[in-house]
Order: sequence, then C-alpha cells, then structure tokens
Amino acid sequence: MACGCPPPFGDPAEVREGFLCPLCLKDLRAFHQLQAHYEQEHSGEDRDVRAQLRNLVQKAKRAKKKLLKQEGDGRTDSGCQERYESFSYGGIDPYMWEPQEVGAMRSHLSDFKKHRAARIDHYVVEVNKLIIRLEKLTSFDRANTESTKIRAIEKSVVPWVNDQDVPFCPDCGSKFSIRNRRHHCRLCGSIMCKKCMELVGLPLASKLTSASKEALSSHTSPSSSPNSVHGSRRGSISSISSVSSVLDEKDDDRIRCCQHCKDTLLKREQQIDEREYTPEIVKLYEKLRLCMEKVDQKAPEYIKMAESLNAGETTYNLEHANDLRVEIQRVYEFIDALSKKILNLGLHEEPQPHPKTLQLQRMIRYSATLFVQEKLLGLMSLPTKDQYEELKKRRLHMAALETHRRQEEKQKDSTSRSVAAVNGDASHLRKGTVRKSEGWLPTSSVSRQCEIADPLLQQIDNITSFIKQAKAANRLDEVRMLQENLRQLQDEYDQQQTLKAIELSRKQAEEEEMQREELQVLCEKEWEREHHKFMSQHARTHSLDFREVKQHQHEVAKENQNLIAHGLDLDITQMKGNPSFETTAVQQLPAKEYFIFPVKPQNVPQCDKDQNRAACLNPFEDEADTPLSEEDPANPFAKDVSPLISFSNAVLQSDKKEYNPFETEEDEQTNEASVSTSNPFEEDEDPCQESGGNWNSGNPFEEGSSTNPFEVEDGNEISEEEAIEEELLLQQIDNIKAYIFDAKHSGRMDEVEVLTENLKELKCTLAKQKEKSNC
Amino acid sequence: MCGARGDAWGRPLPQTGVVSMVYTQSEILQKEVYLFERIDSFNREPMKHLKAICFLRPTKENVEYLIQELRRPKYSIYFIYFSNVISKSDIKSLAEADEQEVVAEVQEFYGDYIAVNPHVFSLNLLGCCQGRNWDPAQLARTTQGLTALLLSLKKCPMIRYQLSSEPAKRLAECVKQVITKEYELFDFRRTEVPPLLLILDRSDDAITPLLNQWTYQAMVHELLGINNNRIDLSRVPGISKDLREVVLSAENDEFYANNMYLNFAEIGSNIKNLMEDFQKRKPKEQQKLESIADMKAFVENYPQFKKMSGTVSKHVTVVGELSRLVAERNLLEVSEVEQELACQNDHSSALQNVRRLLQNPKVTELDAARLVMLYALHYERHSSNSLPGLLADLRNRGVPDKYRKLVSAVVEYGGKRVRGSDLFSPKDAVAITKQFLKGLKGVENVYTQHQPLLQETLDQLIKGKLKDSQYPYLGPNTLRDRPQDIIVFVIGGATYEEALTVYNLNRTNPGVRIVLGGTTIHNTKSFLEEVTAAGFRGRSTESSQVPPRPSSRR
Repeated sequence: MACGCPPPFGDPAEVREGFLCPLCLKDLRAFHQLQAHYEQEHSGEDRDVRAQLRNLVQKAKRAKKKLLKQEGDGRTDSGCQERYESFSYGGIDPYMWEPQEVGAMRSHLSDFKKHRAARIDHYVVEVNKLIIRLEKLTSFDRANTESTKIRAIEKSVVPWVNDQDVPFCPDCGSKFSIRNRRHHCRLCGSIMCKKCMELVGLPLASKLTSASKEALSSHTSPSSSPNSVHGSRRGSISSISSVSSVLDEKDDDRIRCCQHCKDTLLKREQQIDEREYTPEIVKLYEKLRLCMEKVDQKAPEYIKMAESLNAGETTYNLEHANDLRVEIQRVYEFIDALSKKILNLGLHEEPQPHPKTLQLQRMIRYSATLFVQEKLLGLMSLPTKDQYEELKKRRLHMAALETHRRQEEKQKDSTSRSVAAVNGDASHLRKGTVRKSEGWLPTSSVSRQCEIADPLLQQIDNITSFIKQAKAANRLDEVRMLQENLRQLQDEYDQQQTLKAIELSRKQAEEEEMQREELQVLCEKEWEREHHKFMSQHARTHSLDFREVKQHQHEVAKENQNLIAHGLDLDITQMKGNPSFETTAVQQLPAKEYFIFPVKPQNVPQCDKDQNRAACLNPFEDEADTPLSEEDPANPFAKDVSPLISFSNAVLQSDKKEYNPFETEEDEQTNEASVSTSNPFEEDEDPCQESGGNWNSGNPFEEGSSTNPFEVEDGNEISEEEAIEEELLLQQIDNIKAYIFDAKHSGRMDEVEVLTENLKELKCTLAKQKEKSNC
Repeated sequence: MCGARGDAWGRPLPQTGVVSMVYTQSEILQKEVYLFERIDSFNREPMKHLKAICFLRPTKENVEYLIQELRRPKYSIYFIYFSNVISKSDIKSLAEADEQEVVAEVQEFYGDYIAVNPHVFSLNLLGCCQGRNWDPAQLARTTQGLTALLLSLKKCPMIRYQLSSEPAKRLAECVKQVITKEYELFDFRRTEVPPLLLILDRSDDAITPLLNQWTYQAMVHELLGINNNRIDLSRVPGISKDLREVVLSAENDEFYANNMYLNFAEIGSNIKNLMEDFQKRKPKEQQKLESIADMKAFVENYPQFKKMSGTVSKHVTVVGELSRLVAERNLLEVSEVEQELACQNDHSSALQNVRRLLQNPKVTELDAARLVMLYALHYERHSSNSLPGLLADLRNRGVPDKYRKLVSAVVEYGGKRVRGSDLFSPKDAVAITKQFLKGLKGVENVYTQHQPLLQETLDQLIKGKLKDSQYPYLGPNTLRDRPQDIIVFVIGGATYEEALTVYNLNRTNPGVRIVLGGTTIHNTKSFLEEVTAAGFRGRSTESSQVPPRPSSRR
C-alpha cells in the first residue's frame, strides 16, 4: 500500500506484489522462478558482467556486512533515545504510566445460557416431536397402502383438529367451502386451506428421520403401522372422496403439513446439511494454516542455524541447513499456491460467487502474501561452501587474535598501568559524565542544532531546509513563500541580535565589574587562608614520611572546610600533579625530586597551595588530560599537564609501592575525581579559579562554570540574606539572564531550565519588593 | 471447524471506528479476521464456515438486528461483545432468539469511545447541547461513553464539575448515577488517592477552538480535518489516486508518533531528514542490478522500502498541502493576529491588525470571520468596542451572512456572561506576574503563545489549588491530597491544542496522569457547527439589514 497503514478494509488488489522482476516488472510465481527468470532474461544483457558475478556477489556481501556493522553502531548511539521517543509519544511516559490493564469486563454468558436453555428445551422438544411423527408417517409403504388406512394411521399419529372448529383458514383467512376444502397438517393436526398447505417429500423425510435416528438413537422407533398391507389404493374410494380426491392422488407420496411445521423441518435439514458439508475454501484454508504453523516452527530453527553458520561456527552442518532452507522455501511456495487457489475459487463458475465471498478470498490471499513476505524475507541466506570455509578460517583467525590480544592486555595491566590507558579511561569516563549532564536527548543532528540556537535561528534553519526540500520537490510556489518567510525571519533575527548584543555587552560590563569585586574579596580570603596554612604547617614537626604529609594535608583541608568524602586520597595525588601545573617545567623538576626523595619541609606548603589551585582547576585539567598536542599554545593548561601528571604518576607508583598499599585505588580515584565535574569541592572553589587570573581568557569552560547552579544559588542566598535590596536583585537578574544566554549558546538546556526557574523566582521577589515599596 | 472469521459489525458507524483506530488491517488479518460486515447490511451471504465476532453498542436497534441475525444465523458461531452495559431483558430476548445455539460468548467489553491518542478520547458527537441544555439522547450517549471509559480504565472517580455550566452538572450527576447503580462493576482496587473526573464546558473557553494551530496533529486537523485518524486529501490539487485518503496513526507510523506534537517548522526539517533517509535507501532505478546479490538485496528491502515510501509520500503530501494552505490563506499573518487577540490586551493594535487583515484579499472568509469572532470575544465589553464596524467590514468583503451571524452566536455561546472563569485578564497577583514576566522574556514563538484555559485549570488542579467554589465536588466527599489520576472531559468538544497541553502536563508532572476527553475533537469548522447546532443562531447585528430577509433577532 502506498500509505504505511492502509485504510482498513480497503482493496489491496491494486498494489502489485509478489515476486516481481525488478527489471521488467513481470510477476513470477515464486522466488526460484524469479531467480531463474532473471538469469535467463536479463543476464544476457550484460554478459561480460556475468563473468564477474561471483566476484561481485562477494564484494556486495562484504559491503553489506560493513554497512550492517555501521548501522549497528548507529543504532546503539541513537537507540536508547529513539526508544524513549517512540515510547513517550502521545503523552505517556512509560515509567510513570503502568501498562494499561485490560479494562473491566462482565460476562453475561451464564445468564444467556440459562435463558437459552429454557428456550432451546422447548424448541428441541418441538422439533423432535415433529420428527418422530414424520417417522411414523413414513415408516410404512405408502404406495401400497389403502388411503383409508393411511388416513387412519395419519390420524393415529396426531389428533386432527375438528373441522367444525375452523371455519376460516388460519393462515390466509379464506372461508372454507366445498370448493375450498380443509386440509389437515399431518404433523400437528391443524387445518389450513390448499393454498397454504405445504408438502414434505419422502426423500426429505427420510433424510430427517435417519439423521435424527443417528442423533437420537435412544429414541425408540415407532411401533404399530402395518406396513405389509397390500391391495390397490386406486380402487377404494374414501368417504369424502370426490373429484378433488383425484387431484390429491399425486400428493400421496408426500406428506401434507402446515407452513410452520415445514419451516421447522427445513431449518433442521439445513442444520444437518451444514454439519456434513465443508466447503472447498475451508479445506484449502485448513491446509494453509497447517503450512503456516509449520513455517512458524521451522523458521526460527533455520535462522539459528544460518546465523551460526554465517558466523563461521561449526555447530551445524551446512548441508543440513541447506536442506532445511529448501524445505521451508517449498512450504512457502505451497502457501503461495494454496492462497492463489483460494483466491481463484469459483471465479470461473456460473453464477459468480457472492462479492463478499470473493472479498474473503482476496483477504485470505492478501494475508498469506503478507505472511510470506514477512517471514521469507527474514530468512537469511547461507554462505556457499567456499565462503563457509573462508568464514571458518577467519573465525579461527579472529579467535586466535582475540586470545592473543587478551593476553597482551592482561600483561599490560599487570605490568604497569599505561599512561595512555589511564587517559583513555579518563576520557571515557568524562564522555559519560558529560553526556549525563547534558540531560537532554538529541533527536538528530539537525534537531540538536535547533536546540542550541535560539528559536528564531531554529526556525530559520528549518525553513532553509524546507526550501531545499521544496526545491527538490519542484514546488516553486512553496519555495517562494518559504523564502519570503525566511527573509522576514532573518530580518527579525538580525534585529533581535543587535538588541541582544547591545544588552549583552552592557550586562557583561556590569557582570565583570561585579565579579572583579568578588574576586578581590576572594583573593584576599585565599591569601589569608594560605597564610594560615603556612603558619600551621610550620608549627608542626615535619616528618619526612609521606603519610605525615597526607595527614597534614588532611588537616589543612579540614581547615578549609573543603574536604569531601575521599578528598583525602584525592588531595595527595592532586598534589603530585600540582607542581607540574603552576610552575614552569624547570621548577617542576626539583619539585618532583622532592617527592621521589624525602620531602623537604619547605616544599610542603607550596605543594599544598598548589594543590588547592589544582583542585579548583580540575575541570581544565581533565579536559587537558585527553592528550592534546603538547605544544598546543591555545590551551595553556593542557601544555604540560598531561605528560607531567603521567610522569609523576608513574614515578609515584613505582616509588610509593614500597610503603603505600593504597596506591592503585588512589590512582583510580584521581581519575574519577578529576572527571566528575559535579565535585562540590571544585565548584565551591570556582571563585578561586577566577582568582587565578584566567577569567578573561574567554575559555568556554569558564563560561560554563560561571553558569554553575551552585554559584548562582550562593549568590541568591547572599542576596536574600542581605535584606534583598532592589538593586542587587536587578543586578542578579541581569546576571542570570546573561548566564542563560551563555548556557543557551553552549547548548546546556538543563542549565537553562534551572536558570530560568531561578530567574522567575528572582523576578517574583523583585515584584514583591516593588509592591512593598510602592505601598 | 474453520479458522476464518467474519465480523458482523454493529451500528452506528463509529463502532468500526473504535477498532480501526486501534488496529491496522494487517494486524487484524494476522488474527485471522478477514471480513467486516455491518450487522445492518442486508444481503449478507450466509457463510456457515465462518465464525463471527460481533462488537456492538447495546442500543435498541442493535439488539433488534442481533435478534434477527440469531434467528437466521449466517455464520457458524457468534462471539458477542457489547461496548457498554446491556440490560438483563435484552440478554433474555437475545437468548431466546438463539434457537440454534450459535452464540458462544456474550460479554460487556467497555469501549464506547474512540481513542484518539493514548491520552485523548472522543465520543464523536457533534451538537450535544440545545442552547444551554443537554439534548437528552446525547446526554445518555455521553454518560455511556464516559462510564465506559471509566470502566475500561478501571477507575471509580470522584467528580468535580464546572459550576457555571448546567450541562456539566447534569453530566456529573448522570455519571454518578450510573456509578451508584452499577456499583458492583465499579468496585475496583482502591488507590491511595482516588482518581478524579473533572467535567468542563467548552463555552468556558471558546477561544481555543477558534485559533489556527501550528503543531502537526492540531494543524492537520484544523486545515484538513482528521476523521478517525483518516485525512481526506481528495481536494488537494493534483493528488494521486492512492493518496486521496491517508491514515495518520501514531500507533504504526513512527514519524507521525515522533512529530505529532512538534511545530510546523520542525516538521519541515524532520521531513527533510526522512526524505534523505529514504533517498539513501531508495534503490537507484537507472542503475542496473548487476548481480543476483543486488537483486536479492532489492527484493529483501522491498517491503520495507515500500512501507517507507508510503510514509514518505504520505507525509510529504500532507505537509506540502499544509504549507500550500498556509501560503494561500496567508495563515502566518492571520495566526499572529489571532494570537495577539487571544493573549494580549492591546485593544487598539489588535483592532488595527484585524482591520488590516480584513482588507487582505488572501485571507479567507472563514479566517476573516474568526478574527472578528476572537475580537468580539475578547473585547466584548471594551469601552471602545468597534465590533459593528468590523462586521460592516466583513459585509463589505462579501463574507456570507452565515459567518457574520456566527460572530454574535459565538459571543452568545462563549461570551463573558457565560464564562465561569476569566479567559483574558489574569485575576491574581501570581498570574499578573506571570504575564508581566512573559512580556519581559519576550515571546518565544509568536504563533504558539496561546495556552488554553485548560492549562491553567489543570495546573491548579494538580497543585491542589483549584477553587471548590468554581469547580465543586459532586457529593460530600472532597479530595484532600493532590490528584494523581485525572480524567478531564470537555462537554462540547476538546481540541488538539488541549491534547498537546495535556501531553506536556503529563510529561512535566511525573506522577500525574491526565486523560483528556471530549464529546468530539474540534477544529474551527466543527466548533462553529457545534455552536450552530446548539441553536445559537446569532442576532443579525446590522440594523441596516434588508427587511425581506427573515430576521432571526430574538
């Protein structure tokens, strides 16, 4: 059907389907025929190609495999999101809405059956009574019995209604007279006129009685009725005999009865007929279902085999699989043939079958085709013998490689944690976290762009794409319309942009000023803190033991109140990395020496200070961790960090092993810690980071961190605590607006949301404030 | 005896709709259902080798048809399902008709409504009210539909209704009555917080159905009309034969499912992606299939390819038609003014814009009329109301009398006098701030700034702030906690814009499940029909009217 889901009950016959040759669109009955047809008809057209067929087949297969792999990758990427999308369509979140149970139902069957049983009993008794009487009436040889006798027998079966009681025919209402004589129903005894009289032929009677004999074998056959009475009926003239009796004579081998009784009998006959008769279509259909069941059984088995064989495994036998395939294909052909037969049932007969019958046949055919299409195409092909050999070899090879690699990896792992591996891990982890923190699910590359840009841009983007599409579809009027639309949008956007730019620059200026102030305060604090630390450090006795340093560090951290759960371990490793960070390379060398050799007291405070710094700069560090080119001047941090860290790590590892049993754990934790951007430690230190003087660097990360919700909240609290001055509020609002803008630009929609929430709150308070002041 | 089944269908037509909204043809075929018949169709051929499943509403006629059918059964076995509660006496007369013992099952299987989206249902009833009162037949039907929904969702709710609406109260009472009467049926497992049924009246928000829509589903309905998921495209110029009528169903059209709530521009880009994807897969016809492998691949991809080409051509056609209409009817501009009329309070600019558009020859009569309607609804009591002037403009444009009368009819239907809540001016400080903030932030999209009244009503309901004085409970019990399962029913029809609103509310409020229903799903045209059917003919506002014309002034 042209549309994905056809209107139900539509006529599917118009769509060409089945095994059409793609070149000449000739309908071929079955797959193998199509194959043969193709080889006969079309291969001649490019004979030279034929020589390369085998080659091509293989090539195509390889290409397909590659494609499949890619597709697989793509799927894992977008898979989860797609699933989410398709589940959540229509306002239902699969996690919030339990799967809907089947709604309430109420069965009336028992009630129904009760009523029916009462009725049916009555009905069945009626029918049976009639049939028993019929049997009595036909159980003697009517042809050779005198009509008086017959009459007597007939009267004995059922009491006849008195003639005098019925002056009019109860059915048609005509008056009885000499002309219009009364007739009795032999089955119920009632009276009707000739016109209303029905006749039951002997064949029908015997059919009914014999059937009921089978069904009601318990019923005893009627007794009496002398059936050996001889003599010609012809001669005898009954008491009422007249001219009309001559007319009656031909009815003698039939039994008179009323319409009602005849109806009942006919219904009965129909039932009997139906019980015995199965139309052709049913027989065919049953066969069809049988075949389908067979396929449903065999196909999964085959698919399992084919998969395994295609993977080069040796669990199954190739010939066996081939046999199975052929068998299944045969069943399919059989299904196809059967359904075609059903389709053509009665088509050439006269009269033509009922249109509904034809429709039924068509629908069965259609569903069979659907079935075949769906299942047959799921049957993957098997490798040829050669291919299979190759596959097997490759698999062996791969297996060998695999084991080899695994061994190698193990070795690597055990000998030393290679720097690259660690970094690789880190970058992996980082990816993960970044993903998470993004919080929204990209629908596609285009829509991702859409999310980033502001709505107008988005629209512009969309319309541009739309124009392209319209152009492709050759709809010039649309293109024109869209272009006009686009122009309007662009104008609007430009305007908006200039406005925004002006506003932004103003805001930025304000913001910078404020932040500078903040920085100054923080710098002072920092300085104080360091000073304090320094002092405390000096007050202690300095052991050269590394553990002492740790302890000390611990305390310092406590003093700073920045300690988090595993800050302890983290700090140390951080410290190791630090010297490499702030100071120049030359300075670092001695620093490292201090580490390798007993640490000298003077160094500790410095390290400590650095550590602080390093911790706060963590986000940079981990970005830098992914080995960028060391010479990259654009990133001042990345420059020396990674090699040095790794170096110090390595040194440390080898060095510390002797007396620090926690080394490996620490190492991992470092990586983790440096990765997790949600580390509150870092975020608390954000201002410090700014104090590092890199605030103006225009570094995108920095912008991101400035939109850090923690910080914003801090600001909120402060402003609220400070009796909420209007000016401050306004400032804050401006700031947050800027943050939102930033966040939007860098595509962090979740942050945008948080910030907008914030903004709303602020504005609310502002409005209140204003109201108050107005009052 | 035989696996094939025939289906005898009940009257009236919507019943087929109930199933066809949920299943596609091929899905039904897989269940070995091959034929569909209506129980009232004569000349059905007896097919004793078929079994029949009857799914019908337990109406008088249907029961009568069924009795006839059972007297002379055309199929071997009957499975009978009623979509609602059936009376004992009907069961008895059916049982007595079944002399041949062909009935194998009789059940009530509640489904007396049409599932439009997973969270939206409709009863497909147009013109449910006469004036401000129920049409009794429609009231009965609506009660049945609503109770069937409750039964199929297994909810026995508390009921709240809109006080300002008499029909809402009546319906609430009727539903309650059924629940009380069939208390055995409604005896479901109790949830912590009982579900809530909120009954609203369309006349409280006549704005929403008058607006042009820009999300896919709503837009298609507004411009093309969705009828049981089907869209009639036969009026599209140059349409190919197999696209005359297309089906848009989120159940089996992934593209539609993912895009039905996106706006027009987004659809544009998504459809482009779809096209590209399709083109990638499309086998190049010119290029010869060079090997058996190529050909195999082609055959293997064939059905998928076919399905995809179906989807692509369908959506491209629909979107193409939409954009054609948008251009032809100048809808972007119209919609902008509509939104301004609906959301902002600047009378003079609104008036100016409406006047300007009324002069625009591209604007259709319907659009012109609806602009005036929106104006009339919003600035009904405005001091410098210039509705007569606008009506004169309409007349000068040659807009037929029908539409002009509708203007006052709509005001009569959903004017200030009728409304229980205020549509336009915010009433409390929070709302004022909200609007103020809106002004500050600037509008994200001028075409979609309008939020239906339902949004606010539901929002308050979820927060437990909906006023009992405006939306009282039926009966003495009230809900102490915040509601979790909410069923909203709009007498006089819901809209797809509201469906979108509910969709968003469901997404943003985890733990809250809202189902929206209406006597129908409206677009502007059907809404105006509804208004007309309700008997609001509108006064002819122009005193200069030609005398011979029968005046409908009341």
